[in-house]
Amino acid sequence: MNVPTDHLLALAAVLFALGVLGFLVRKNVIIVLASIELMLNAANLSFLAASRHWSQTTLAGQGDPTAGPVFAIFVILVAAAEAAVGLALVIALYRLKQSVALDSVAELRG
Amino acid sequence: MAEALFYVLAALAILSAVGVVRARMPLFSVLSLLGTFFCLAAIYLLAGFPFLAAVQLLVYAGAIMVLFLFVIMLLNLGDAAELERHAGLSLSGRRLFVAGASAALLGLVGLGAAELDTGFSAATVPGERALDDLDTLARLLFSRYMLPFEAASLLLLATMVAVIVLAKRQRGRPGVVTQGAAPAAEPAEAAVGSAR
Repeated sequence: MNVPTDHLLALAAVLFALGVLGFLVRKNVIIVLASIELMLNAANLSFLAASRHWSQTTLAGQGDPTAGPVFAIFVILVAAAEAAVGLALVIALYRLKQSVALDSVAELRG
Repeated sequence: MAEALFYVLAALAILSAVGVVRARMPLFSVLSLLGTFFCLAAIYLLAGFPFLAAVQLLVYAGAIMVLFLFVIMLLNLGDAAELERHAGLSLSGRRLFVAGASAALLGLVGLGAAELDTGFSAATVPGERALDDLDTLARLLFSRYMLPFEAASLLLLATMVAVIVLAKRQRGRPGVVTQGAAPAAEPAEAAVGSAR
């Protein structure tokens, strides 16, 4: 695949921006969590794009192409942990409020 | 061929990501997310990361997606009343659902095409290795990245404890509505099982 690194990074940026948009705009906790997963995926894509970039023969020795996949694995691990805790929080929230709308948890609003 | 496939998959990934943000019901949103995961896995495969493509499918499209769907099913969101309230928008929601489902299917087809593509190129270009070579990766994880690796195991342990504490039914705690809380004990264990 001879796609330039810029295009991979652009795709990652678009996905990340969509994730941020969903995180800020949506009121449903589950959709907010899905947006966070979207952002983590975009970060993963940029890690792998960088790894692929530094593995090109013309750039040999300038960067470390092995770091990208390792970091991507750690990001996936953190994403799994985050999803488990986040969804447990959703269950606890639903038990308390009978709702998953973020507007229903505004106790800390001054 | 591979380039064209990448741009098609990238467009599909962005489309289903828009579906995640725009979907009316959490179920449609999460199914669109599945489409994004499939497209990204195919892109990883095309870019030369077959192991990470497999991990993406197993962990994201497998474990995390099941977790999301399980919680949606458990909480009975997107019930008939809510559908009624958004009656004007339910059509676009249904269209988005169809779009998300077809993105997932097309991503799956793309995954197969990407596999064929990389399989052929690996067969024709001798000595070409995957960028996420498992041998290198494992050695790095147990040498240079030893400390993060151990920290990750601690994180998983803490997650297990936290999920059990959070999702467990709390008897006799004042201020906690116990109504409808009866089936909540098992999902905690399911969540822990998927997180590992």
